[in-house]
Amino acid sequence: MGATMVLEAREKKLSGTKRLNIIITGVGGQGIITLATLIARAALLSGTKALVAETHGLSQRGGSVEVHVRLGAVEAPLIPRGEADVLLGLELIETTRRLDYVKTNGVILTSDVIMKPALPGVKLPGRDELIEELQSANRILVVVVPATSMASEVGGLLFVNTMMLGALAASGLLEGLVDPGKLERLVRGLRRGEENYRAYRLGFEYYSGLHRLPKT
Amino acid sequence: MGDILGEPGSTVLLLGNEAIARGALEAGVGFASAYPGTPSTEIIETLARVARRVGLYVEWSTNEKVALEAAYGATLARVRALAAMKHVGLNVAADALISIAYTGVRAGLLVVSAQDPGMWSSQNEQDNRYYGLLAYVPVFEPYSPQEAKDMTIYALEFSEKYQHPVLMTPTTRVSHTRGPVRLGIIKEPIVQGDFERDIEGLTLVPAHARKLRRALVEKWACMREALSDAPFNKIEGHGDTLVIASGISYSYVKEAIATLKAEAKILKLGTPVPLPREITLEALEDVDRVLVVEELEPVVEMQVKSLVVEEGLDVEVHGKDYVGYIGEMTIDRALRAVARILGKGFIEVPSGKSNPTGITLPPRPPALCPGCPHRATYYALRKAVNSLRIKPVYSGDIGCYSLGLLPPFRQQDLLIEMGGSIGVANGLGRVLKDQVVIAVIGDSTFFHAGMPGLANAVYNRTPMLVLVLDNRVTAMTGEQPNPGSGYNALWEPAPMIKIENVAKGLGVEKIVVFDPYNLKEATDKLKEALEYVVKARKPAVAVARRACALIISRMARTKNVGNPLYTVLTDKCTACGVCYNAFTCPAIGVREDGKAYIIEDLCTGCGVCADVCPFNAIVKSREGDEGWEQLWF
Repeated sequence: MGATMVLEAREKKLSGTKRLNIIITGVGGQGIITLATLIARAALLSGTKALVAETHGLSQRGGSVEVHVRLGAVEAPLIPRGEADVLLGLELIETTRRLDYVKTNGVILTSDVIMKPALPGVKLPGRDELIEELQSANRILVVVVPATSMASEVGGLLFVNTMMLGALAASGLLEGLVDPGKLERLVRGLRRGEENYRAYRLGFEYYSGLHRLPKT
Repeated sequence: MGDILGEPGSTVLLLGNEAIARGALEAGVGFASAYPGTPSTEIIETLARVARRVGLYVEWSTNEKVALEAAYGATLARVRALAAMKHVGLNVAADALISIAYTGVRAGLLVVSAQDPGMWSSQNEQDNRYYGLLAYVPVFEPYSPQEAKDMTIYALEFSEKYQHPVLMTPTTRVSHTRGPVRLGIIKEPIVQGDFERDIEGLTLVPAHARKLRRALVEKWACMREALSDAPFNKIEGHGDTLVIASGISYSYVKEAIATLKAEAKILKLGTPVPLPREITLEALEDVDRVLVVEELEPVVEMQVKSLVVEEGLDVEVHGKDYVGYIGEMTIDRALRAVARILGKGFIEVPSGKSNPTGITLPPRPPALCPGCPHRATYYALRKAVNSLRIKPVYSGDIGCYSLGLLPPFRQQDLLIEMGGSIGVANGLGRVLKDQVVIAVIGDSTFFHAGMPGLANAVYNRTPMLVLVLDNRVTAMTGEQPNPGSGYNALWEPAPMIKIENVAKGLGVEKIVVFDPYNLKEATDKLKEALEYVVKARKPAVAVARRACALIISRMARTKNVGNPLYTVLTDKCTACGVCYNAFTCPAIGVREDGKAYIIEDLCTGCGVCADVCPFNAIVKSREGDEGWEQLWF
């Protein structure tokens, strides 16, 4: 887990913000819609308006997927480029692909999972190369959760979505919009709820641990 | 999922399509039919899930035309009905729609045709609101899941009141957006009725149609007037600039005006066709400039311009010249157009920087899933074609197998619309000199629009191989059952129509059926069929039968049945790359040294890679649990 980095852990209080734009990205099949729905349902139960814009059908099969989650005072479902407060990535290449969505003082939260596209002769960028790209984007905070190794503790890559949700919950970004207790209850209500909850806790604790690190 | 039957008065999170389904329940719809198609599928899927509890009838029809005709039939016996389809589905059903407008209906008939601006999962970006103008059918265009639900009820009641079919055209970002929806009371559906004869009113022979045409034009004027009072049309704000926003564009315009901290009058339109005259004229009062913001084509813009000319108004009307035609609406597009009409000049839209270090990211198009039987069929087809030294032309079609156009397969040379593979092959097969046309079509697409093409090929003796990829379900839209599955929309057992029997009944003389997971058998059978086409110069049919691995994997997870697993023997693997470059199963990874490994989280245990490997380096490492084989239907 040593390779994880907190680049610029400048604390920024987003609680009380009337609106939060989250882009969730990854590979079709990683449970991205499940993750987005969990956030939105928990928001609604907490009295916060939520909109989730999804892509289905042909755009889903093992392809690059982006889901827009908007919380608070919002009308339209799509987040403009450069306006996302959070980029929540389940796969590192896909996180990097969506960098331009994040606003200058936005946050990037990503797993380090790398999945090979099912194309012949694909040259994959390396993990460090991708992380360097995320750093260079000069956003306020970049957190790379070592989900590849952590997933083996909870039963596989199937649980990366709830693990990243835990990290998001720990970040404090949802404060004032989503009641964490309601979110946790929804996670436990999923199929294989206890395993999902363990993944959630792992992500949560991982992120919380980061903030005890000395700031650079 | 339980939310769809939630308590009246509660607010729940619903997908736009689920909200439409809930609206249908609250309107007491007794008959619902559809052919699946993104972004419309979840309407009927949702209704099918609750059909038994609520008591309405729900079916997947063989195509959109049948779905609409069936729904119309139900309304003739006074049962409220809904027919759903994607935008291009209405092309298939257009023949019915235009004539139904002449006869009218006897109970509410709502046609929901979901549009796909941006072509997220479609072959074109047509605007079905034109069908409203073409067919004299009022069009409702919701802007949010809540409005989609409310509008469904209103539109069905409107339809019943005017005894006229109505059309609703949600776009992708309404159909596939989840948002809060406040629920109303579910009405017990009326599911049976009597048909009363009215030969003059229901048989469209010329003598009757001429009379009905006159009535239709009169009815249109009445409906146009009534739509001014629809609660989905309203005027907000003040100013000498009017922004008319239709459907979901309203949400973008609201945010744009808020962002600009500007003042403008807004006419929110929920019924773009016919343009409601009274409220539009009211909105145009004391206005110098108008901007029409709508997705797709200038349907509202043209009607507004026509109204301005009719009334001799002195206003400047802008629309597509400011907003643009192509792709879906975004806040940025609305922002730029609104800023321009308000004279705020060009707005610099803030955008983050991409690619600061210049890294190259590999593309990630959608791909055939791990264990997908289509991958095996394409692999076998390539082997068969190569070994016979045939020059193939692959006439493609709409389904998951369309992805066969991507490398390494490249086995879809053309692809236009549902059923087109066989239709186009009728022309190619006739005129090609030494190439052989292979029509590649899925099971559901075959039932949808493939059969007339095959009948044509038999009748006219057109040489072609029709390869039907029968994965037992309509997979691309989320594994709905079809006439070949043996299940109905509620997943109850149903008669199973076998494609080889259809082919036989149509007079095809050469028919082969194989399991694509058995590569050798698949290759041999395909060779046999291809040789027949070349020698006999007549059509042959090959059926590749193996269920969609996605649905089987899902069933296995629900029932806790483990699948078999395969592993790569590292000492035998020569890093030749055949499995990950020529077969490209997503469950096969590449190690740093070029050798392959199986990603166990993704492997479905199909075992085809074991046959693909030239060095027998891939072997079964775990048997499937008891019950695994029985899952495959």
